[in-house]
Amino acid sequence: MILKLKASVKKEFLLLIRDRAGLAMLFIMPIALVLIMTLLQDSSFRMLEEKKLPVVILNNDDDVFGENIVEGLSQSKFFEITVFDETNTQGLKEEVAAGNYLIGIVIKKGATTSIRKNLNKDIYHQFPEEITEAITLDTTGAGATVKVDVFFDPVLKNSFKHSILSALREFSSGVEAQIIYDTYASLFQELLGVEMKKPDKQHRLVEFNEQYASNLKQATVPNSVQHNVPAWTLFAMFFIVIPLAGNIISERTSGVSLRLKTMPGSVLPSLLGKVTVYFVIGILQAFLMLLIGVYLLPYLDLPRLDIGHQWLAILLLTMVVSAAASGYGILIGTLFSSQEQASIFGAISVVIMAAVGGIWVPTFMMTDLMQVISKISPLNWGLTGYYDILLRNAGIGDILPQLMLLFGFFTGNITLAYYYNRNKEG
Amino acid sequence: MTHSPVIEISNLTKRYRPADQLAVDGLNLNIRQGEIFGLLGPNGAGKTTTISILCTHLQPTSGKIKINGKEIFSNQLAIRKEIGFVPQDIALYEQLTAKENLLFFGNMFGMHGKELKSKIDYWLNAFGLEEKAGKRIKTFSGGMKRRVNLIAALLHEPKILFLDEPTVGIDVQSKNVIIDYLKEVNKKGTTIIYTSHHMDEAEHFCSRIAIIDYGKIITKGEPKTLIEDCNGCDKLEDIFLKLTGRKLRD
Repeated sequence: MILKLKASVKKEFLLLIRDRAGLAMLFIMPIALVLIMTLLQDSSFRMLEEKKLPVVILNNDDDVFGENIVEGLSQSKFFEITVFDETNTQGLKEEVAAGNYLIGIVIKKGATTSIRKNLNKDIYHQFPEEITEAITLDTTGAGATVKVDVFFDPVLKNSFKHSILSALREFSSGVEAQIIYDTYASLFQELLGVEMKKPDKQHRLVEFNEQYASNLKQATVPNSVQHNVPAWTLFAMFFIVIPLAGNIISERTSGVSLRLKTMPGSVLPSLLGKVTVYFVIGILQAFLMLLIGVYLLPYLDLPRLDIGHQWLAILLLTMVVSAAASGYGILIGTLFSSQEQASIFGAISVVIMAAVGGIWVPTFMMTDLMQVISKISPLNWGLTGYYDILLRNAGIGDILPQLMLLFGFFTGNITLAYYYNRNKEG
Repeated sequence: MTHSPVIEISNLTKRYRPADQLAVDGLNLNIRQGEIFGLLGPNGAGKTTTISILCTHLQPTSGKIKINGKEIFSNQLAIRKEIGFVPQDIALYEQLTAKENLLFFGNMFGMHGKELKSKIDYWLNAFGLEEKAGKRIKTFSGGMKRRVNLIAALLHEPKILFLDEPTVGIDVQSKNVIIDYLKEVNKKGTTIIYTSHHMDEAEHFCSRIAIIDYGKIITKGEPKTLIEDCNGCDKLEDIFLKLTGRKLRD
């Protein structure tokens, strides 16, 4: 058995290294894909990262409202604030339209004064006449709600628009509350002769307690390198379906398979020889792609791939993915009777599994329905495993579900191929 | 040549699902040890199916087959060690050299080391391929490929050799070399079962033949005797056409 396995491995190795077109497809194609796709998607991924959004503000209000908005946004870690040094709204709008800023905010002159006057008008409505006769509040010009103009770059995602508007509302509410408090404090003093103390600005009535639901570390969105390197590695590993299936069909059509079946012993050494060589090829592909992520991509002004310290988890996941791909190749080679059929079906099925699995478009950018459907793809299982390792420092125990699914895929394919072959020869 | 049957076939049938017609229909045949036995017939007669079953590659639908007294499917491992099979197709790896192919198939027979290498060298020399040992099969002519195809089945010195149209599509010189060496192998005791469409070749090469059509044996015996017993027949081809007809077969 060992002699036959060694002979089979040697034979498969010789056949593979003499198939230059096949080798090019197995190694050059994934390198090209990872370089091109990472470069193409880098800007899109940067948008997803929690990088500061560039915002320009024109504050024509020389009072607390405008000042608080500018100060509040400047202190936020999500926005990079630039104070517009001109005074006209049209100029700011043009800056946003030109793409120099994603968001532009215009706070009109006299905003704070208008807020106070509107509040004074409300007080006259709320308090009984005997009280309002004793006070004097300026309500000239009160009525229209104070408007803050917000200009958005059309490419800005809705989620970011909602972020900035929520932030503005929060700061605006804070300023309004402060103005309301100051006005009522002044009224109390005027009517009752009572001086109220200023509230402690640090004291909040409600606090939100943020926690993570899982044991894994903070869930993060991958950058373009963290997504594309494992994604296209998986794609390349599954593309061995084509040469492997072609190899099996070629043996069958040439009569070699028939010769082997009339030899003493089982066909297992021959099959294992194929699986072994293509299994090793898969690991070499993954190793090469990781090296590219770590050492080559930074030269293209892309983030460096940080593979962390979970070496064993990466190795085990890679091995199981490679086995799964080999098993699938054996099934395709068993089911189809010509190399053309196997090539077309193999290629299309891998592309579909890749698309569904989140290789082309990451799953976190898919709709809810597609995120559910993506879970049927073996490439998704592999990609989830790599994400967990690279982004969340997951160990072998954490990626056990993915390992089991992929190993099940391997054994399922081999079993199907075995029974199909047995029934065909029946 | 002894007279004991080395292959005993009783009521062999084979149906390929879902076809109704039997590919092999109640075949009964004994082949003696040391014979060169020709299995002749038109296209679709059942020759390749019969050979495939005898090589234990294909399961019969019914019937019994013994080789050297052993039922072949319950003693598959032992039987396969004793037989060699030369398929009709060139069952070699085109991207490997002649030597690499033979080393691989020799290993799959359980052979290795100097013993295997010396046998490979012997046969490559015998068939005039010693200078081509290191060349890839894809560079070989049809005749050269057929010779390597045959060598792959001879390495382990089988007691019974099955050949499915071993000389199809090759030059006369290659055919003569192959036939001559098969006679040498037979003289050393190997029983040969051989299918062919070449009647003149079978007439001169085989010690006994059977003509098979629609899965049944329609005649069998020594070529010379069959010709003598057939009115108006000068050669085996005449008998063949008389029994199977001149109509084209699909």
